[in-house]
Amino acid sequence: MKSALKLFAGLLLVYLLCRSARAATELSDSEVRGQLVKTLLSTGEEQQTNLTQLADAGSRLVHDVLTAWTRDGVYLMDGPDNTKIPVLLEEQTDVDGKARAVRIADGQFIKDDKGQELRFAATDLTTADTDMRLRSAIQQTLDALALSDPNPDARRSAILKLGNSGKEKNILLLQARQEKETDAVTKKTLNEAIALLQLGSADSSVQIAAVRKLASLNSIGSLDNLKRLVADPKTNPSVAGETKRAISSIQEHIQWVNFFGTIFRGMSLGSILLVVALGLAITFGLMGVINMAHGEMIAVGAYTCYVVQNIFGSGFGFTINLPFSIAGHQLGFGMHLPGLNATGLFYESYFLFALPLSFLTAALAGLAIERSVIRFLYRRPLESLLATWGISLIMQQCFRMVFGANNVQVNSPSWMQGHFSLNDVLFGYNRVFVIVFAVVIVIGTWLLLTKTPLGLLIRAVMQNRNMASCIGVRTDRVNMMTFAFGSGLAGLAGSFLSQIGNVGPSMGQDHIVNAFMTVVVGGVGSIVGTVYSALGVGTGDQVLQQVTGSPVAGKIVMLVLIILFLQWKPGGLFAIRSRSLD
Amino acid sequence: MRRKATKFELWGVAVAAFVMIILLPVLNATPVGSFLHVSNFTINLYGKYLCYGLLAISVDLLWGYTGLLSLGQALFFTLGGYMMGMYLMRMIGTLGQYHQPIPDFLVFLGWSRLPEFWKPFSSFPFAFFMAMLLPGTLALVFGFLAFRSRIRGVYFSILTQALTYAATLLFFRNNLLMGGNNGFTDFKFIFGYDLREPATQRGLYIATGLTVLIVYLGCRWLSRTKFGLVQQAIRDSENRVLFSGYAAGNYKLFIFVLAALIGSVGGMLFVPQVGIINPSEMAPDKSLEAVVWVAVGGRGTLLGPILGAFGVNAFKSWATRAYPDLWQILLGGLFVVVTLFMPKGLVGLPEQLRGIKKRFDARRSKAVSEPTITPVSRTAEELAKIK
Repeated sequence: MKSALKLFAGLLLVYLLCRSARAATELSDSEVRGQLVKTLLSTGEEQQTNLTQLADAGSRLVHDVLTAWTRDGVYLMDGPDNTKIPVLLEEQTDVDGKARAVRIADGQFIKDDKGQELRFAATDLTTADTDMRLRSAIQQTLDALALSDPNPDARRSAILKLGNSGKEKNILLLQARQEKETDAVTKKTLNEAIALLQLGSADSSVQIAAVRKLASLNSIGSLDNLKRLVADPKTNPSVAGETKRAISSIQEHIQWVNFFGTIFRGMSLGSILLVVALGLAITFGLMGVINMAHGEMIAVGAYTCYVVQNIFGSGFGFTINLPFSIAGHQLGFGMHLPGLNATGLFYESYFLFALPLSFLTAALAGLAIERSVIRFLYRRPLESLLATWGISLIMQQCFRMVFGANNVQVNSPSWMQGHFSLNDVLFGYNRVFVIVFAVVIVIGTWLLLTKTPLGLLIRAVMQNRNMASCIGVRTDRVNMMTFAFGSGLAGLAGSFLSQIGNVGPSMGQDHIVNAFMTVVVGGVGSIVGTVYSALGVGTGDQVLQQVTGSPVAGKIVMLVLIILFLQWKPGGLFAIRSRSLD
Repeated sequence: MRRKATKFELWGVAVAAFVMIILLPVLNATPVGSFLHVSNFTINLYGKYLCYGLLAISVDLLWGYTGLLSLGQALFFTLGGYMMGMYLMRMIGTLGQYHQPIPDFLVFLGWSRLPEFWKPFSSFPFAFFMAMLLPGTLALVFGFLAFRSRIRGVYFSILTQALTYAATLLFFRNNLLMGGNNGFTDFKFIFGYDLREPATQRGLYIATGLTVLIVYLGCRWLSRTKFGLVQQAIRDSENRVLFSGYAAGNYKLFIFVLAALIGSVGGMLFVPQVGIINPSEMAPDKSLEAVVWVAVGGRGTLLGPILGAFGVNAFKSWATRAYPDLWQILLGGLFVVVTLFMPKGLVGLPEQLRGIKKRFDARRSKAVSEPTITPVSRTAEELAKIK
């Protein structure tokens, strides 16, 4: 978490530095326009020089005008005193195919003497001619312009484009940029692109240096080029040998990247599993209640998220028609919640409101189930399984009736989309968020169980219900609170799952078996065990998916491994030791 | 008292067997439109329920008699069904959509000849042998591992559920060459008889009825032998059985394999009557449903599961047609109510009512009631002894 923050701060700093450095050299708008007109009207060597200078202007306008120029979209009109006025035509034309003309020099429309805007057809005007040599110079300027784009991502893609162009003359352009570049990541990309271009050099020593450079940069993108180089019969044998070494080094790097990517995905999967299983570890592990409706608690949380999102948006409503009618009136009910029609940052923040609410709604649902059904079944754990399964059927059908049988759309806030990459390993923000979220929840649960009076009571009741009852603990109330808390955790897990998975009526069913397995592997009654086993099962699942090459096969192998593991440690990772037999 | 109840039960079974196995098929054979005619649909439906009855008995043998709640019993049922399905697929011959000598789905997957392991399934004895061997071996290996490490109670339930979940995922895969998520369907012939003929279906129905009867009588006999008593002792207190020198694990293993075989036979009879088998039949909720039939009918009895399978499925058939949107709620509600208020199920209902009446009478006759607090550590049996 800390290092992620540091990294983020670092990136921000670099970005700000880039911006301020750029601001110093930026020309004003009128200066840019003047420069453009000068370039358009000059000829020969002078024009070339002017063009090169334009590359430093770094303005959107330059890009547009130059692009139009290469496509014969810049026109020269006769001005007073035998001068020429360069203009652009607007894209929007009227019925006659005529459009207004914009003077490049000041961005104003061309008007007649009375101040009326004039319209021209493209065929009426003389185009500013370009020849082959000029077009290639313009292209070069455009490339250089793209290289100085203020957005680092756009800059990088421009660099990569040049790097893959195979034209050696682009090296100069890239090297010029390299001197100015401040962004570390972009610098690396520049090195990569230059080395890529140098691969095509006629000088084998330059080639070898480029290959070494690519190998030291661990350039995954250059793998194809390197392979082509090896396959090319014209390649110098010493270069080919060096290239082979570079390829194997890069492939090794790819394996590491995949490995860490798998570990990261496994950790995030494990974190989801952990949040789901944590609630179960409390209701099942501590209380001994087999709650088959735990999965539906997840769905309650996820649907809460959906409802909150809609309330922030255009509102939420539903109607249910029951298949009964009294005196000709169809029975049914419905509800409509008006929307806040929030936009921007306020809308994006809906998730922050949804998180606590999903905990609350799921906890309330859990409370209702505990009071109405489960409290009668504490002595019959196997039967609590059946009753809660009945409840899960009822709840699933209710979801179907209220929200429809199809999955509903929950949009991630923009601050949870996207990713950052560290040494080629991609870290999705939502996955990073899961991990952080799981850590917070685990710590919170641990604090609640060990540092609060309620936690003390919970542990007392779980260890020996009768004894706790004898010394005056109101076990009934403690049970109620514990169950509600466990269910609330499931709800939190659900609101989280809504950001990375599907939200549908039977979403709980996808997680319940895994969650039970996780708790059993960890050792029933042990929160620490659940943490370890969730991370282990999650990572194991991802690794096995990689090894077996199919998600389903990976899952099956994982389940078989779990069954075998329980042979070795029937009580799970952290079995609670006890002298009692049953 | 007990003997009288037994006699009553046997008479009831005899009557039910007569009605189900002889009377209904005979009425089905009467011409359509006659007053006494029983429709093919009914016969087919009851045949399906009877197969479910076999599954329910296998759940009850484990849960009601041995205290092992298996949440994966439908796996063995479906495995039996798949073995039968493979035989039936081979019997289609070249009448499939592609008119190829191999099953349609294999043509679809790009196969031009039959995979080796499919070949022997042209013979029914082999298919039957496999339907016993595969579930039996699976139950033996799984049970051996589970009982050796003394996995019991809830853990056993969760592990069996994981097992059937894993198997479901496996069977959904196409490259298992078992039909993927569509499974097997479009069967044409069994033993050379046309499956669409009412007479064939009637024959299958009678076979199912007889199987249920035989399994019922067999289990009834087993539960009265010494073996059956040890089995029930394991349910009540496994540790005492262990301390008395019995290898409880071996008893449980035997019962687990036996239940798997009964389930598998149920599946074999199920497939030709329903005409389709696919992996969703072994999904974890199917096994749970079977457990619910037993709970509704009354566990620890042998009639209960059959009654429960019939009753719940008939209720489900009715509710899905009458209230398609609400039937899951009705079904779920039924489970909750039965678990809460009828722990002994339908079969135990008369006894439960008598108990309530007795308590009610006692309270009325005695103004001063006995202290209602009971020591929690004592089991019901101990209390009975003290009294």
